[in-house]
Formats: sequence, structure tokens, C-alpha cells
Amino acid sequence: MNPGYARVLFVLGLIIVAAIIAVTRKAWAPGAFHALPSIWRIAKITVAEARRRRVLHAVVVLVVLILFSMTFFSYLSPQEQARMLISGGLAAITVFGILLAIFVGAFLIPQDVENRTVYAILAKPVRRFEYVLGKYVGALIILGAVVAVMTAVLVGVLAIQDRLVADLPESPFNPNLGGVIFAAVMSYCSLAVLTALIMLISTVASTTMTVVSAFIIWAVGSLQSQIYDLAESATGATKLVLLVIYHVMPKLENFDFRHQVSNFISYSVYSGWTAVLHGIGYTLVVLILASIFFNDRQV
Amino acid sequence: MQTRRSRKWLSVGLMVGVLMLIVPLQEAIHRTRPSLFDPDRRDRRVSAISVGPTPAVIAALGGFRTVAADLLWLKAENVWHGGSWWAMLPLLDAVTQLDPHFLLAWKVYGWHAAYNLNAESETLVDKRFWLRRGIENLERAVEANPDTWEMYFELGWTLFDRAHENWRAAHYFKLASELPDAPHYVSRMYYRSYEHVMDFENLFPAMEWALSRHKDVAMHQKLVRRDIEWWTNHWDDPQEHRRQIVLENTARKQRSVPYHMYPDDPYWDVCPVCGLPSPKGSEVCENPLCGHRLRAEAGGESLQPSAG
Repeated sequence: MNPGYARVLFVLGLIIVAAIIAVTRKAWAPGAFHALPSIWRIAKITVAEARRRRVLHAVVVLVVLILFSMTFFSYLSPQEQARMLISGGLAAITVFGILLAIFVGAFLIPQDVENRTVYAILAKPVRRFEYVLGKYVGALIILGAVVAVMTAVLVGVLAIQDRLVADLPESPFNPNLGGVIFAAVMSYCSLAVLTALIMLISTVASTTMTVVSAFIIWAVGSLQSQIYDLAESATGATKLVLLVIYHVMPKLENFDFRHQVSNFISYSVYSGWTAVLHGIGYTLVVLILASIFFNDRQV
Repeated sequence: MQTRRSRKWLSVGLMVGVLMLIVPLQEAIHRTRPSLFDPDRRDRRVSAISVGPTPAVIAALGGFRTVAADLLWLKAENVWHGGSWWAMLPLLDAVTQLDPHFLLAWKVYGWHAAYNLNAESETLVDKRFWLRRGIENLERAVEANPDTWEMYFELGWTLFDRAHENWRAAHYFKLASELPDAPHYVSRMYYRSYEHVMDFENLFPAMEWALSRHKDVAMHQKLVRRDIEWWTNHWDDPQEHRRQIVLENTARKQRSVPYHMYPDDPYWDVCPVCGLPSPKGSEVCENPLCGHRLRAEAGGESLQPSAG
């Protein structure tokens, strides 16, 4: 995108958002504060429901086993072991995190509709956007807990391995714990954006459709550079469609620091935090859209 | 009803505004990220391998390229221990394509081609091919990792120790020693490259430059001062010249690399057949096992250097 256009777009966006907030603040501000307890209650119920699901526990146990089994490559040099543990561990966290995000995000609302639980909730003084936000916050807590457990195990395994090979002369084993934690946090942020998008789709589509779309969104979000390359070489409507996808879809690549961390190369923390800032804005838009669609849905 | 509709339009307006904020922001973040597919690097070698035979595989792997590289690396380890040296090449090629920042893989790839496969080859053409391939791999490694001293050093070392391209080696040793975290021995390798070919015009400034580096490392300072003192006293010593010629050309013979002829040496003529020195103006090579006639009957010029 031309930097001049980008700047104009940014300023215009800022003006529109500021104007709308200023004009409507009296209408929504008291309501928003009033909504917080309802959102929190729904989030707590969502977490309690998830805790009862055995699949969640199974995923955590599986990841822990995978992480511990990665210490079996003792024939490798300490330098190789560190790389394998970090890249493999972060990949396991990402893969299982994505799977959890897809299945948690895709089933939360449709399952409530199918079980008719949603009628009981919406019959109470709970507005629909509070319900959607509550579900989203619940999903974030579940994902956060799972990612935190997996990261803690990975950090523990790296620290133990570091102790085990510390006696080797000039051991180049570098556990890079700070980098691992940073990459895991960024991975969690990308899951948060992905979950919001999945919930948006789940408000309008069936569960199967949501799961399929979620995988496509994840793939497209992770391959933005390739999509840009394709758009560059395409013409006409194809180019337009690809450019729209490139600009509108979330760039999940921006949250991916696994490659830099496992290769022990420098990374920009600033780039990570700006990606988080962008993620928050993006998630906000997606959740507002989800609330609007869920508002119009006949439940 | 009216209120609900207007609220809906306000929400849509808000979203459009936020989207307009987001698009340039995510674009800006994305542009700052290092990419294998950076359009500005299309014509360069690393990009060439990225858009080579496996871009679809690389693309399909998305953010899991590092893990795929690790799995192939494990396979390469097994192949190495199984003794199938030639089978390692496609694996190492794939590993470095998938993860161009995997320094160990580049080091092993360059070393394997320039040392093992070069030594394993039976013909001179093959030996040169593998040596060239090893050096080219390390050049690609440098291009993919321009901020790490290790790859410059690895390339410099292979040029110095294996190809005996001392001037190019000196160039890369200097680049390596200027990068952050480069150990002190790298700056000493810079002048060692000139030392072996007795290029005194470059040797003394290189030693002074090395002395100006790592001022806080006593061992480095001691070693460089010792070398400066040695060469100040011996730069015109015929026996030291002879020693250097023998060392360098014996190593070149072992590596099947053309001898260095030391054309400006004031004391010695180098035999193009055995690479050993004979006193300036000798008719015949001093080496009793060689005995090559150094001066041709007509013209009186030395023959071109030959491979050992």
C-alpha cells in the first residue's frame, strides 16, 4: 500500500472513531459498565463448562508428554537439542492452541443454541452483546490457562535440560527462556484474534462450516506474504480479491516469533507489542460484528 | 425501531473507522518483518532458492518451517551416522531452504561439500566441483545471515584452509571480526591469511588493525604483539620465506589446489611441479625427488603452476 494512502486512511479512521465515540458516549458508557458483571458471569460459566470436558485435559496431557519426549534426543549436541526443544515445543503449543481455539470457538455459541441453554441465559437481563463478549472472555481464559500450562512445562523442560548438560565443557546449550515466553505470549495473542473470528463465523454459520472456515482463516492469516506475492502476479478481479484478503484478514504472521527464538536471532519486541495493539483493535471490530449478527439471529 | 437501526449504523461506522485504522497498522508491522519472500531480494541467491523447486512446500508449512527443518535434520544425522554421505546433500539442501537461519545446518552443508565430498572424490574435476559447491553454499549462508559473524568466519575459514584463496579469506575474516560478538581469534585470522602468502604490504597493516581490536583481552594483545615482533625481525629472512613456502604449498598439494608461485619473492623460485622452493636463479628444482628444470631452454620462463 502506498504510504501516502495509508496515512490518509489512518487519519480518516481516527477521525471517524473519535467522532462516533464523542457523539454516542452518553448512550453507551453507563451501559458498558453495567454490562461488565454479566460478561464476567457468562465467562465463568463458559470456563466451568470447559473444565468438565475431558478433551481439554487430554490435550494438555498429550502436549506435556510430547514436550518431555523431546528430551530423548540425547545423541544430538546440546546446541541442536536446545533448538529442537524450543522449535518443537513452541510448535506443539501453537498447533494444540490452534486446535483448541477452533474447537472452543466454534462450539461455544452453536452448542448453547442446540442445547437451548441460550434461551435460559437470554431470558435473564443479559443483552446479546454481553452474551457474545462473555463467551469470548471465557474462551480467552480457557486458552490462556492451557497455553500457560504448556509454556510452563516447556520452560521447565528447558531449564532441566540446561542443568543436565551444564557440566559439558563449554556447553552451548542456550535455553533462551525469555524468548520462549515471549513467543508463547505472542502465540496466545494470535489465538485470541483467531478465536474472535471463529466466534464471528459461528454466529452466522453451522458448526461444520465454522470449523472449516476457521482452518482456512488460520491458513490465510499465516500465509499473508504468499498471498501478497500471488496478488502481485494476478490481474483483474483475482488481484482485487487477493488484495482485499491480504488487507482485511488478520496477519497472524505478525505474532509469530518462533523462528527467531529457536534460531537464537534477534527479534523486535516493539514489533510484537504493536502487533498486539493491532490485534486488540481487530478483535474489537470482529466482536462488534459478531454481536450485530447474533442480535439479528432468530434464537 | 428507529433507535435500533441508527445504533446499528453507528456500529457499522465505528467498525469501518477501526478497520481504516487497522489496515495501515498491520501493513506497517508486516513490512518490518524479515521475510524469505522479500520482493526486494528476488534477484539474490537466497530468494532464488526460496522460489525454487519447493516454494509450495515452504508455503504449505506456513509457520512450521523450523519444525520441518528439524525433522529433516534428524534424518540427515541418521544418514550421516549410516555413512551415506551423498544422501545427505538433498536433505541439507532442504533443511537450509526451509530454515535459512539454521546456522549449524549451513556450516555442516558447506563443510560436508568442501571437505568430505571433496576428499571422497577421485578426479580433480570432481574435487573442484565439490569445493566450489561448499563455498557457494557458505556464500548463500552469509547472504541469508548477514548479521552473524559465524557464517562470515566459516566462509573465510573454508577459503583459507581448503581453497587457499587467501585474499578472499582475509576479506571475510575482516567482515566477521567487525560484527558483534566475534571472538578475538577472528581478527588474528585476518592477518594470518596474508602471512601464509607473505603479502607484507597487507600483513603489517592487518596486524596493526588486529592490535587495535580487543584491547581488553590480554592474550590477544600478547599474541598479536608477538607476531608483529616476529615479522618485523623476519620479513627479510630467507629461511622464514622458505618455511612459509613449504608450509603453504605442502598444504595446497594435500588439498589438490594449485601451488602459490610467490612471483615477487626475492630469495626463492617455486617449482611448478612439486611446489617447493629453490634458490633464486636455480636451473633445476632442489627437491631430489622432483629435479624439474626450472628454466626452459628457450625464453627462460617458469612453467604455469600445475595441480598437485
